[in-house]
Amino acid sequence: MKFNFKKQFSTFALVTGFAATASMSMAGECRVAEASMDKPGGFPDRALTMIVPYGPGGGSGQVAAAMAEAVTGLTGVNINRDHKPGGSGTVGMTAYMAAPADGYNVLEHIDDASSAHALDSSRPNPAEDLIPLVVSQVTFSQIYIRSNETRYTDWPSFVKWVQAQNGKATIANVSKEGSMERVIMKFITEASDMQIQQISFDKGAPRYGALLGGQVDALFEQPGDVRKFLDAGNFKPILTVFNERPGVFSDVPTHKEMGMDFEPLLRFRGFYVHKDAPSDRVDWLKWAFQRAYCEDSYQAFNDSKFMNVIDSYRDTAGAIDMINAAIVQYRDVYKEMGLDVK
Amino acid sequence: MIENFLAGSATLFGDPFTIGIFIFGVLGGMLFGAIPGVSMLTLAAILLPFTADLSPAQGVMLFAVIYCTGTYGGAITAILFNIPGAPENAPTAFDGYPMTQKGMAGKAVGAAVLCSAIGGVASALVMMSATEPLAQWAIMNIGPPEIFALVFFGLAVASSVGGRTIWKGWLSVLLGLLIATIGQDPVGGINRFNFGYSDLAAGIAFVPAILGFFAVSEIFIQAEKNVSGKYSAPKFNVDFPSFLELWAHKIAVVRSIFVGFFCGILPGIGATLAAFMGYGEAVRWSKNKSEFGTGKLEGVISSETANNAATGAAMIPLLALGLPGGALTAMMVAVFQMHDLEPGPLVFYNSPELIWIVFAAMFYANLSILFVGLIETKTILYLLKIPFQFLAPMILMLASIGAYISRGLVLDVIVMFIAGIIGFLLRRSGYSIPGIVLGLILGKIGEQNFAQGMQMVHYDLGTYFSRPICTILIVAGVLTLLKSLHSAFFQKSKAT
Repeated sequence: MKFNFKKQFSTFALVTGFAATASMSMAGECRVAEASMDKPGGFPDRALTMIVPYGPGGGSGQVAAAMAEAVTGLTGVNINRDHKPGGSGTVGMTAYMAAPADGYNVLEHIDDASSAHALDSSRPNPAEDLIPLVVSQVTFSQIYIRSNETRYTDWPSFVKWVQAQNGKATIANVSKEGSMERVIMKFITEASDMQIQQISFDKGAPRYGALLGGQVDALFEQPGDVRKFLDAGNFKPILTVFNERPGVFSDVPTHKEMGMDFEPLLRFRGFYVHKDAPSDRVDWLKWAFQRAYCEDSYQAFNDSKFMNVIDSYRDTAGAIDMINAAIVQYRDVYKEMGLDVK
Repeated sequence: MIENFLAGSATLFGDPFTIGIFIFGVLGGMLFGAIPGVSMLTLAAILLPFTADLSPAQGVMLFAVIYCTGTYGGAITAILFNIPGAPENAPTAFDGYPMTQKGMAGKAVGAAVLCSAIGGVASALVMMSATEPLAQWAIMNIGPPEIFALVFFGLAVASSVGGRTIWKGWLSVLLGLLIATIGQDPVGGINRFNFGYSDLAAGIAFVPAILGFFAVSEIFIQAEKNVSGKYSAPKFNVDFPSFLELWAHKIAVVRSIFVGFFCGILPGIGATLAAFMGYGEAVRWSKNKSEFGTGKLEGVISSETANNAATGAAMIPLLALGLPGGALTAMMVAVFQMHDLEPGPLVFYNSPELIWIVFAAMFYANLSILFVGLIETKTILYLLKIPFQFLAPMILMLASIGAYISRGLVLDVIVMFIAGIIGFLLRRSGYSIPGIVLGLILGKIGEQNFAQGMQMVHYDLGTYFSRPICTILIVAGVLTLLKSLHSAFFQKSKAT
């Protein structure tokens, strides 16, 4: 079954892709004017707890550490990070929903929370059951090959080579059911008329090692996660899944330039608080996390992760729009994919 | 290499503050490694923000030292109380705790101290001499099919450990494999056997399962003996193993160094598989397989040598390729990044002084295990003098805290007690607790790599045999299985 790509993602594109593209020049700029805010009723008078549904060494663990450091630097309030990995973020989300909604508990989560709700509406909706404090990382995906690869050197030659393999070519990614990676790969393979075997690695090191060692032919990943391999000259991007060529990847074609007419799904990481938390505390938390995004330490972190290549910032309203759009569009895609949408 | 090592040593010991960090890492790693649930990872997570105020070399060195001594730390509680401080110390308990019950705690702990130091130092030496070529070899030749074959090879001997008969040993392993399937499948993310509980989506965590099967079931067994008047306290003994006793196991030490190093060098695998494989190989090559699990010194030696041999090896893919081998090495990446550095090929050219301070520190940290460990052992053995009535509640409390604190889930405490009850009943019936734990831990690693391997070979199992290393390991595993079956039938026919 072929997708009607043009039908898909119209709203999502408007809210995420186009918005990100339009504001590429704003990447890293501070959009919170108030440099300080009075603590409502003395809140917080003790350390906050940040539940992180992934391990400390991965992308979520690192952004949680960077944001916690920035918030503490800004406000003097300590943040204890509580990592609860497992179940693609399910364990951490469940633990968070059971924690007191007093404003002292905040949550870090990624777009998986939105796609999980899209697949099963009994799972928490990050835009309704939670209040987004800030989305602080938004990024696009790319396809990488080894820099010393000789069988193919760019996207057209890669597609030609894959087509000649009759489904034997392989690509490493995180291809769990309904994941952003699997959906985008479906779009790419159908639009390019090629078959490629996706190998799912849930940890980064074996995934990158598989490409380095020639165990797979290509890698689907976001640029910040493989920056060290790009800087070392081990990997080279051959396709950017984004509407425009970001400046630092100006020599890499986008999927649209290569004839694939679908709107890109983006990876985003943000921070949330329970919807039942007292509103004055929520306001203070929104200020603290949105302003912490402007801190030098956080901006340096985002720079190191290629997270200022496109606009990574969404305030509460922007985040809600992005999450809602993502949920609607993921749900449509899942139905077309024949998944059991509940 | 020697010049670089001496330069790294001079920098390490030339600054009092750096020496202080080194000593803190040695003692902190040992302490946190010894407390179940509160592992070296906990210490590393606490320290991570503070490394921003250290120099890059001091920060990375601190984590490397914690990694070495933390891997050893859990052996002590595994031997004395059947509480492995971490999954990589679980095989140490298989024979270490029975040795304690036999009044040989001093020998077991002494062997653990010495062999951890030997394994770690040997690993550090190889790491210093051949990091880059070894990393390249591993990454080019070892993929998911080979790792699955390695796990299969390891599991093939598991039936021999701890069960009253080979059949009960195999049933125990199969139960462990079954438990390992609880939670999301490792490739497609589909929930299995979680019965609607989202906390079970992540599967049964290793720490509460190990604490339940080992520590809690042991408390129940000793309590039963106490009630029935059959309880006898472990004999207090601080005699270390003699040189001749250790020399008799030289082959086991060398074998475990190789096995541990090989497992450690594989990205994402690390010390846990190393310890289980080291133990498994000791069983495979032994003429007295049935003695394993009953208090055999070689079991402790093999496990502790292998898990520390994995520490230096795990640094190889991290430093040469930027690929962390486990959770702690992944956190080391964060330390690098906090100082605008990235581990990988460039770090050898951009920051050679950092690399050699880390190498030197790991070498000395492993030597420290020997000296600090021996002093620690002479004092900690006195815990065995505490009467069971007081010791048992302390162990239960410590185990409950350990089970809870690792993920902060009450579910894990429940899992621990359920595992304890199941373990108690199965042990009474002659089933093997080591077999269950082997199945649980190796099952998760094996299933993930099997599924990835099948995707890579396009679901054609025959293609596995076009990969030489994979073929050798699978054939060796099958032969071991056949031999085990032959022994089982032979035992039966002899009995009838």
